[in-house]
Amino acid sequence: MTTKPKLAFYWAGSCGGCEISITELGMRLVDVSEQADIVFWPAAMDFKYEDVRAMADDEIDICFFNGAIRNTENEEIAHLLRQKSKTMVAFGSCAHLGGIPGLANMYDIESLCQRVFDTSPSLDETRGTRPQTITNMPEGEIRIPELFDQVKHLADVTQVEYFMPGCPPVVEQIWKVFQAALNGSLPPVGSVIGADEKTVCDVCPREKGTSGFRIKEFKRPHEVQLDPNTCFLTQGVICAGPVTRAGCGTPCLNGNMPCRGCYGPAEGIIDQGAKLASFIGALIDTDDPEKIPEILESIVDPAGTFYRFGLAHSIMNNLKFD
Amino acid sequence: MSHPTALKTFADEVKAIPGGEHVELCYSCGTCVSKCMIQQKVDPDYNPRRLLRMVMMGLKEEAFSSPTTWMCSECDLCYAACPQEIHISQVIAAVKTLAVEAGYESPLTPVSVDETLCTGCGICVMVCPYEAPSLFEKQVDGTIDRLSQVNANKCMGCGTCVAACPVGAIARDGVSNSDVIAQFPSDHQDPPRLITFVCDWSLRSSEDEQFLENYPQNLVKVVHIPCTGRIDPQHALMALDSGVEGVLVCGCKPGECHFKRGTYVADCKINILHTMLGQISLPQRQVRFVQIGTQDRGRIRDEVDTMLHNLDGMKEAS
Repeated sequence: MTTKPKLAFYWAGSCGGCEISITELGMRLVDVSEQADIVFWPAAMDFKYEDVRAMADDEIDICFFNGAIRNTENEEIAHLLRQKSKTMVAFGSCAHLGGIPGLANMYDIESLCQRVFDTSPSLDETRGTRPQTITNMPEGEIRIPELFDQVKHLADVTQVEYFMPGCPPVVEQIWKVFQAALNGSLPPVGSVIGADEKTVCDVCPREKGTSGFRIKEFKRPHEVQLDPNTCFLTQGVICAGPVTRAGCGTPCLNGNMPCRGCYGPAEGIIDQGAKLASFIGALIDTDDPEKIPEILESIVDPAGTFYRFGLAHSIMNNLKFD
Repeated sequence: MSHPTALKTFADEVKAIPGGEHVELCYSCGTCVSKCMIQQKVDPDYNPRRLLRMVMMGLKEEAFSSPTTWMCSECDLCYAACPQEIHISQVIAAVKTLAVEAGYESPLTPVSVDETLCTGCGICVMVCPYEAPSLFEKQVDGTIDRLSQVNANKCMGCGTCVAACPVGAIARDGVSNSDVIAQFPSDHQDPPRLITFVCDWSLRSSEDEQFLENYPQNLVKVVHIPCTGRIDPQHALMALDSGVEGVLVCGCKPGECHFKRGTYVADCKINILHTMLGQISLPQRQVRFVQIGTQDRGRIRDEVDTMLHNLDGMKEAS
């Protein structure tokens, strides 16, 4: 009797969107479960960490790990699953690049805790109460995971064979990757999978900007009636399409929203946010130098916009934490 | 009744092109030559005054093959100084238009587009100060691909597009991404304290150039770029990541940019970079952009000293 390949799914510091994207496979999940054994999937099935600890090393064939590494539990389970898995896939933007949680790296952990536990307007009488790593109760000691001083991505803490981008990875790409994984046709180790080589801009059918176009004011998508047929940049709206890997099927563009950059930097781009700044800066109208500061000010939250999904995987981040 | 075309002089042809009409106002004082950076830094024979004379004297072939016709980057330092208020760069552009029509080609090396990398995003088309790139459609493997092409007669080689191209598809001799990165220290191996990106036009005196060239390499590494429009914030971050303490970018004073808008573009990029560094609580003083004017001889010494002094201060504070 041939044994079926064993799959595991895990969520670390994440929102759960990656899990939802997997369940969007619908009835195709039944096909997956016919071809493979799912041996660990906390979001959907009742397995415990103990079950994983009881497995032999390399017993899991492929582990799809989503979420960032935010605390000691995330890291511990990343190491555990690494030990038990032949192949580790960083699944989704957070595991791949740090994702939205990685934006926390703009701040230090103390000011984040102050905001969340002390000053947030939605706090009630619990204001000022901080969760403790160790709490002594009559029944005994309770421990919760400890936050790290920075958000990391999976490859920061363990070896990763494949990177699958997306916030979340779109279901058609998940299906393709599952099929490739199950019939052993994954590309060479180290590859980005479930995505294309070129950029979102390359597959965007919108009319591109013409010679001499300059941005006189930056606008956020909700501040302007967007023409669905012309390039967002020419409408003063920041779009990460020119630097972002394609493969998502452009749901944002189809919904008349600019690319946010979740599929990560395309080939040849070293730092997605700095590269965005490199062409956004060059598009600014410089004919009247006195107006330049005003135009620059209309870029709301440049770091959050340009590094939306990749701050924890940027040179900027290296400079701060290394 | 119209005149027979045979009577149309070269000057008439130049004047018929918008911008060329002021050629006959020139009385050959030579102020333009004294202002011209190309004449001072590249070619002592470069001479706008002489080109305008050639036009008036009907020396068509000489004008078409003169470097003056092709190398003018429309910085317009001469326009501001001309007592006759002739927009000289526009007259030169009119001559260039006729030269291109007559089949002459620019002697400058244009940027080149790697079609296998180009995604047809059109950013080069938008940012170029000279309208050199344009998009075209090409059949590749049965599908129509939108790609960028560069008009070699319009490209002045400033590198603004090289820095703006999101995917590194545009190359320029000596300052392509790999050329710039190769000048950074590898693996933190004895990094200099400072990497200075210097626009080829921003230092107006040979003393200033010598000063930088002779500065101890273990303190200041100089990376030459054609224009600060070539600055890519990625490179500033990579330089810091390679172990240097600071990045100094030297461009031209506003209004004196050799390539029309490069210094403004650099200002915008460094500004955005500064805001982002601030947001992530990294010291903004590590990256500094200075704009040096034609009258600012010797300023580069002060700027390098100030920067090293700032870095000393940061070291002490940490």
